[in-house]
Amino acid sequence: MSTPTQVYEPFRAGLPPLRKYWKSLWSRRTFISEYSRSELREQHFDSAFGQLWLVLNPLLLSAVYFLLIVIISGSSDSTRYAHLTATLFLFYLVANSLTGGVKSITAGQRLILNTAFPRIMLPVSAVVIAIFKFLPTLAVFLAIRTVLGLPFAWEMFWAIPVLLITMLLALGLAVTISCINVYFRDIASFLPYMTRTLLYLSPILYEASDLKPELRTLELFNPLFPILDSWSRALVHGQAPLTSHMLIGLGWAVGIFLIGTYFFLSREREFAVRL
Amino acid sequence: MNLPSVSNSHKTNEVAVSVRGLGLTYTTAIDRRPTLKARVKSLGRGGKQTRVIRALDEVNLDVEYGQVLGIIGTNGAGKSSLMRVIAGILPPTQGRIEVYGSVSTLLALGVGFNPSMSGRDNVYLGGLAAGMSRDEIDSHFEEIAEFSELGEAIDAPMRTYSSGMYARLAFSVAATVRPDILIVDEALSTGDAKFKEKSLNRIKELRSDDRALILVSHAMATLEDVCNDVAWLHKGKLVQRGDPKTVITAYREFLQVGKSAAIDEDV
Repeated sequence: MSTPTQVYEPFRAGLPPLRKYWKSLWSRRTFISEYSRSELREQHFDSAFGQLWLVLNPLLLSAVYFLLIVIISGSSDSTRYAHLTATLFLFYLVANSLTGGVKSITAGQRLILNTAFPRIMLPVSAVVIAIFKFLPTLAVFLAIRTVLGLPFAWEMFWAIPVLLITMLLALGLAVTISCINVYFRDIASFLPYMTRTLLYLSPILYEASDLKPELRTLELFNPLFPILDSWSRALVHGQAPLTSHMLIGLGWAVGIFLIGTYFFLSREREFAVRL
Repeated sequence: MNLPSVSNSHKTNEVAVSVRGLGLTYTTAIDRRPTLKARVKSLGRGGKQTRVIRALDEVNLDVEYGQVLGIIGTNGAGKSSLMRVIAGILPPTQGRIEVYGSVSTLLALGVGFNPSMSGRDNVYLGGLAAGMSRDEIDSHFEEIAEFSELGEAIDAPMRTYSSGMYARLAFSVAATVRPDILIVDEALSTGDAKFKEKSLNRIKELRSDDRALILVSHAMATLEDVCNDVAWLHKGKLVQRGDPKTVITAYREFLQVGKSAAIDEDV
């Protein structure tokens, strides 16, 4: 009896005790899986047509963009189409994490005002949902790749670390933007413009090597640039990615994740009064 | 964080919640929906974007097991803030809160954070977020569904619920998990007369020597009926605490005086 179950004392600015926070987060991991499952079920992705749409939607998107490429450049080939689909699908993993993450805190208002729990659970769940939506598209890409007759190579396994880096980046971005949205609720309305800009700045509709030298500086400001290039090299061309691109991509992902998480964790205790 | 799976048995008169020198000051946005656009537009005008609120000031309060504590006070007295601090939802600015046992909260907004999901999903998600395990929720679910009298509506999206249905489900969740410490914030007087009576009876059932109940309500007669202790908060300060009848009478007198003073001012 003498030891309290919980003690609440004033907090100083900065991070909460991380070990305790992590323990609390880990003990609620079922929430994250349950939440993503309910969300996917609510969006009907548990039904046959829902799953079909999950695959059909990115396929239609890639078809539209392919049409755009053919019209603009006048010609195209199967590798170009494989590059487009591979990078577009990975891009949508990040974009879906952002769109799902941006309102995760503000939409979780009732829960936040009613229950004490690590708030980061909400953007994490949004990223998990985006990953679940991404996985079937990866299978579709592999099927497309086979149909196009592109050769398989061991180097394709480089895609695994690239995917892990992308997930970390997506998590960092979702955590950051969910926190910003608490303070500026219209960020969600700017998001489509931001993702669209990011899409055009990334080597999706073109290959990284096609970029004019004078535009090369653009890639310095886009975390997705080195990641998508590495992804395409590994999965489409069956080559090992450039070490520099892997390192720059990893640097961006770790940096955004750390800064975003710090920002989030040091702010999350006041979310209840800001919502 | 607030519902450990193992709950210990507690003895009457043992401290359940100890609040010492509690102060709570927070900054909140003036706009209900702060936007970047509004911020940019007001650049250079120097308008204030945030407001500092002193919600609680030097509050000392002990709640013992076996106690049913009613909290009364006018709007903005700090009642809900006090409940949120005890539940660990808001961190205190000053002082120290010690909680001895598992806490279940039924604060004003209730359960159901995602209206597009079914009542069932929301109950599970709310429970998991509070730190319960799936099995624990499974074992309580039937009882929750039955108590809420929602029938098949439990599997309908919560956006199709009426406010009464919302409240019934929220109450059922909080009152079914049988926590050591139950906090109910202004959720007693929801639902129709029948459910109101049912929930009141449940609260009475929950009164036991090894449990502490904290009820925030404006329903004085109910509090007088249910509670064995009442605390009166005013502008973040604890004004009076003690026998329900005495405190409620004092509060009623205060309200009368306040009312007549306000009338005088208008003249």
